[in-house]
Amino acid sequence: MAQPSIPSTQPTAIEKVVAFIDERVGLKQMQAKMLNEPVPGGSRWAYVFGSVLLFIFIMQALTGILLMFYYVPTADHAYMSTQYIIHDVDYGWFLLSYHFWGSTAMVVCVFAHMSQVFLWGAYKKPREMIWLVGLALFGIVMGFGFTGYLLPWDQRAYWATTVGVEIMDKTPVVGDFMARFLKGGPTPGQMTLSRFFVIHVMILPAALMGLAGLHLFLFRSAGPAGPFRGTPEEIRAKTDYFFPRQVWKDIVGMATVFACICALAFWEPVVLLEEATPDPGDYHPEPEWYFLFLFQMLRLKIFAGEFGQFLGAVALPGAFMALLAALPFIDTDPERNIFKRPIALIGWILVMVTILLFTVSAIINREFLD
Amino acid sequence: MTDEREAMSPTKIGLGILWPAFWTGLPIKLAFVLVFLAMGVMEFEGRIGLAFIMLLASPVTVFALPIITMGLESHIGEGAGIAFLFLLSIPIDIWALGVVGRTYFLEKFRKEPPDGLGLTLWWKCALVGAIFLPILWFIVGTVTSTAISLAHSLLDMEMLKGVPVAERIGVELALWGSIASAVLIVLLLIGVSLIGRIIRSTAAAAPSASENYQSLVTRWDLMRVPADQGLTFAALALGGVVLSVLFWASLPVTTPHPHECCKKPDVKAQPPFKPLEALNKDEKLIVQLSAQVEALEKKAEEEAQGKNKGKGKAGKEAAKAADSNAPVQSGLRKQ
Repeated sequence: MAQPSIPSTQPTAIEKVVAFIDERVGLKQMQAKMLNEPVPGGSRWAYVFGSVLLFIFIMQALTGILLMFYYVPTADHAYMSTQYIIHDVDYGWFLLSYHFWGSTAMVVCVFAHMSQVFLWGAYKKPREMIWLVGLALFGIVMGFGFTGYLLPWDQRAYWATTVGVEIMDKTPVVGDFMARFLKGGPTPGQMTLSRFFVIHVMILPAALMGLAGLHLFLFRSAGPAGPFRGTPEEIRAKTDYFFPRQVWKDIVGMATVFACICALAFWEPVVLLEEATPDPGDYHPEPEWYFLFLFQMLRLKIFAGEFGQFLGAVALPGAFMALLAALPFIDTDPERNIFKRPIALIGWILVMVTILLFTVSAIINREFLD
Repeated sequence: MTDEREAMSPTKIGLGILWPAFWTGLPIKLAFVLVFLAMGVMEFEGRIGLAFIMLLASPVTVFALPIITMGLESHIGEGAGIAFLFLLSIPIDIWALGVVGRTYFLEKFRKEPPDGLGLTLWWKCALVGAIFLPILWFIVGTVTSTAISLAHSLLDMEMLKGVPVAERIGVELALWGSIASAVLIVLLLIGVSLIGRIIRSTAAAAPSASENYQSLVTRWDLMRVPADQGLTFAALALGGVVLSVLFWASLPVTTPHPHECCKKPDVKAQPPFKPLEALNKDEKLIVQLSAQVEALEKKAEEEAQGKNKGKGKAGKEAAKAADSNAPVQSGLRKQ
C-alpha cells in the first residue's frame, strides 16, 4: 500500500532570508502595520493622491540624478549643458521633458490632494497637524518649481527668476535679505545659479523627505478620515484593509500619472529659448504657469504702485496661506459633509474660478504683448 | 428605501456609471496612447487637452468624434494610431462599463445585473454620444463665438474704452467664459441624464437582489477579484513587459523636435578601422618610399661623381654639400 506523501516542512532559501531579516528588524510586524491599516468605508480613488505624490517625487529624484550626470551648474556652461542633454545625450530630451512635466504634475497633484482633504473635511480634529505639515509640503513643492526654473539658464529662466525675486523683495522685514541672499549680487549671475542649484538639489529634497515622513507618521497615528457620507452601518460594511484594494488603486493611479507625464513629454518636449542675458530683448518675462494667476493679478490697476504691489504679491497670498493654516482651528464644527458646509464649498469654488480666470487671462494677455 | 432608489435622478445614475467607467478604462488606454506616440503613428494638433479627453472618453465619443471631425471640420490630429486606439478602446470600454455597471446595479439599485450588461451599456452610450455630442459641439461653438463678439463689442463702448488691458481681458473672459461654461455644463448634464434614463430603464427590467447589504458588498467585491489571480497577474506582467519593450524600442534616441539652433550637420560615417590591413598598407608605403629615397641618393651620388671628374673647383663644393646632407640621408636609411 502506497504511503501518502508528507509535505516538506523544510523552509526554502527565501523563507530563511525573510526569517533572518524578520528576527532582526521585525519585518513581518512592520509589513502587517503598513498593509493591514483599516480604511473606513473601503478603498477609494479619491485617496490615491498622497501615494501618487510620493511616486512623482521619487521619479523626480531619479530623473534629476540622471540629469545631474550631464548638467553643469555654472553661468557659462548651464545653457550649453542643457542643450547638450536635449540634443546629444541618448534619451536626454525625454528625461528632461519628463522632469519638467513631472514638476507640473506634482503641483497639480498637490492641488488635487489639498482640495480632496479640504472638501472631505479631513483637516478637522484630530488631524490638524497633518494639515499643517501638508501646507509646509505645499510650500516646498512651490519652492522646487521656482528654483528649478532657473537652472536651464535661458531667457525664460532668467527673467522668471528676476520677476520672482523682485516679488519676494516686497516682503516686509525679511524680503530684502531673502532677495539679496538668493541673487547673491545686484543681478542674477553665477552666485544666483549656484544658490538655486544647491537649494533645488540639496535643501528642498532633504526638507521634503523629512516632512513627508512626518506627514505619513501623523497620518498613520490619526488614521484615515473615511468618507463624509453614509450611515455607520454602510461605512462599517465597506471598511477594508489598505492591502490589497487601496494598494491596487494607488498603483493604477501611479501608472496613470506616469503615462500622462510621458505623453506630455512627447507632445510638448522642453525647448530652450536664447541663452540668458540681462537684456530681455523681445522676450516678455513671465513665471511658470502655476504662478501665472498671481502675475496677471499684479497687472491690475488696483495693484499698481509700491503699496499695491506689496498688497497683491505679498499681503494677499500671505493672508490666504495664514487662513489655510488657521482653518482647522477656526472651523471646529465636526460636520464633514461638504454639501452641509456651504461657506467651505462656495469658498473653494471661488478660489478655483479665480485661479482659472486669471491664468487664462495671462495666456490671452500674451497676444497684447506680442 | 426602495422608493428612494427608484426616484434616483437620471443625471446621478449617468454620472455614477460614466465617471468610474472612464477612470477604469483610462490606464489601459493610456498605455496604448504612449506606445503609439513613441512609434509616431499618432500626432495631435491644436486642442491637445480636448483631443485627449475625447479619445479617452471613448464610451461616448467612439462614433461622435469621427462625426465631429468630418461633419464639423474640427481637426484634432493625424495618424493611423487615432483610429486604431478607438478600435482598441471598444473591448476596454465594454469591460469597464460591465465592471462598473454590475457593481452599480447591486449597490444602488439592489438589482441583479443582467448578462452582457457591459455590451448593452456600451452600445447605448455610443449611440447617445453619436447623436448628442455633435449637437453639443455645434451649440457650444456657436454660443462661445457669439459670446466673445458680444463681450468685445460691450467693452468697445465709448464709456468703457478707458478700461486698462488687464482688467478688460479679465472682464471679457468672465463674460464669455461664464456663458460658454454654463451652456456646456447644462448640455453635458442633459447628455448624462439621457444616458442615466437609458440605464434606469435597463435596471427596471432586472430582478431584485435578495441579499442583505453586507452580502451585496461581499458579492460585488468578489466580482472584481479574478478567478485565477496568478494567471491574471502573469498576464498583466507580461502585457506590461511587452508594452515597455515596445515603448523603449520605438522611443526616439534624440529629440524628435530639434531646435533651429541645434540642427546636426550631415556627417558621413567613417569606414571601420582594420588594424592589420592598415599596418600592411603602411609597411608597403614605407618600403616604397625607402626605395624612392635610395634611388634619389644614388642619382645624386652619380651626378656628383660626374661633376668631380669635369670641374675641379666645382667638384670640391659639391663634395662639401654631399657631406652636409650625409647625416640626414643616413637617418632616412635607418628608418
